[in-house]
Amino acid sequence: MFLNRAEGLALALPAALFTFLVFLVPVGILLSVAFQAESGAWSLQGYVDFFSEPLNQSVFFRTLKLGILVAGTSAVIGYAAAFCIVNLPATSRGRIFGLVVLPLMISPVARTYAWIVILGRTGIVNDVIVGLGLSELPIRLLFTETAVFIGLLQLFLPLMIISLVSAMENIPRDVVPAARVLGASWFQVFFRVILPLTKEGLVIGGTLVFTGALTAYITPAILGGSKVLMLETLLYQKVNVSNDFVSASVIAMIVIVMCFSANLVLKRIASVRR
Amino acid sequence: MSRLTVWLILGATLTFLIGPFLIVILAGASAGEALSFPPQGLSLKWYAKVFTVESFRASFALSMFLAIFGTLAALLIGIPAAYALNRYDLPGAETIRTIVAAPIIVPGIIVGLALLRYFVVPLDVTITMALFVTHTALVLPYAVRVVSSSLNNLRADMEEAAVILGCTRLQAFTKVVLPNIRGGILAAFILGFVTSFNEVPASLFLSGPGVRTLPIDMLSYMEITFDPSVAALSALLAFMSVAIVFAAERLLGFSRYV
Repeated sequence: MFLNRAEGLALALPAALFTFLVFLVPVGILLSVAFQAESGAWSLQGYVDFFSEPLNQSVFFRTLKLGILVAGTSAVIGYAAAFCIVNLPATSRGRIFGLVVLPLMISPVARTYAWIVILGRTGIVNDVIVGLGLSELPIRLLFTETAVFIGLLQLFLPLMIISLVSAMENIPRDVVPAARVLGASWFQVFFRVILPLTKEGLVIGGTLVFTGALTAYITPAILGGSKVLMLETLLYQKVNVSNDFVSASVIAMIVIVMCFSANLVLKRIASVRR
Repeated sequence: MSRLTVWLILGATLTFLIGPFLIVILAGASAGEALSFPPQGLSLKWYAKVFTVESFRASFALSMFLAIFGTLAALLIGIPAAYALNRYDLPGAETIRTIVAAPIIVPGIIVGLALLRYFVVPLDVTITMALFVTHTALVLPYAVRVVSSSLNNLRADMEEAAVILGCTRLQAFTKVVLPNIRGGILAAFILGFVTSFNEVPASLFLSGPGVRTLPIDMLSYMEITFDPSVAALSALLAFMSVAIVFAAERLLGFSRYV
């Protein structure tokens, strides 16, 4: 530890000042617009106007619903996958874990584009449906909530698995066999042993997946289009189609508040269970 | 659980996570004119076509420029900041940490809009410059965090010993600290490069006609054309990212730092 504080500050200042000036100040101004009326006075009118439109309401609830569904589903799959990974022998554990992390390094555009090939009018799923005679014409699978859900799940599932694997690695090895020997069912083992011991990982994973799904732009843009808008794609439309910057700021504020509340709520749930 | 159940669960999960890429790779290798799977005959013509599309070449160059120089700029201010936060008892260290980490927390599309309205337009900054600044800000948190964790593993008394033995403070840094955190810096560079290269939401509002990053160019290309070239390009980008990360892992155990 060095004691010359002026020297230390001089080293840290460029980074802090840079982020403050080109990042925090513009974002701060943008968010403050969400609280201003056209006259410039402080007001919550922007929120009232925003939520009085049925379209905006439905987009808000759809975003919330998809965020919860994606986080919940990835938690279920994540626990199963993480439990399997942790119990693998060391070498294959590293390899499988690498395969789980791999998609995170690849462009989300490329990752989402795959679903167009799979779910499109001439995609595999429709080939099978038409081929089996289940439907005469291809079904519309793209631009549905299901498509957006699948895309988001594939995008963010690795984050949940990673969080849960690192939480489970800290569980002493013999705790689960001990519970089994003493007569606990797998159901009891999960809810009374694994879940309480991994809840911190679940909170981290849940926050990452939920906020990731909430703030994703590419997936709803490609797989949902203007038929299945989410808050981020709605924000883009407000700016580029209707030049409505107040609504855009209101949406920005809503998204940020949702992200922070998700983290608080999850932490609260985790500590209540104790 | 039996071995069979374990491998069934893992097999299904990995198929869901990785299977789509294999499909994209094959869809890009189609000999047909329209995107389809299974491909109508195999050919590499779409993989070849990607390299002849003028806008892809321009946007690839821009994305490369941003990923390399944006990350270098972030390291240039990030390494001293990480060093200061680790080795000095700074007043307001927590505040500095929060400020520097902020770009990760704010959703990208909001960042892009905020910078367009309250940075680019009022200051009359060029689009390329705006993108450069944005990517630097977005990569900075990763640079500081990865270099910090690497500095954490290096004992501070080694520098003190160097100073006692006659090094100046600067020499102690360049001769003792830098060589020891080289791996961390390289890991930070790779993480920053990949983050910047794949970034979309923040760059969305900062793209004009002719000035676009590659992922955004792909988004607009796939809106007008439905041929397999985007599939081929997606596959090529996936190969590139995987190759970079794989090489990094082999050379320096990348995952230790991230």
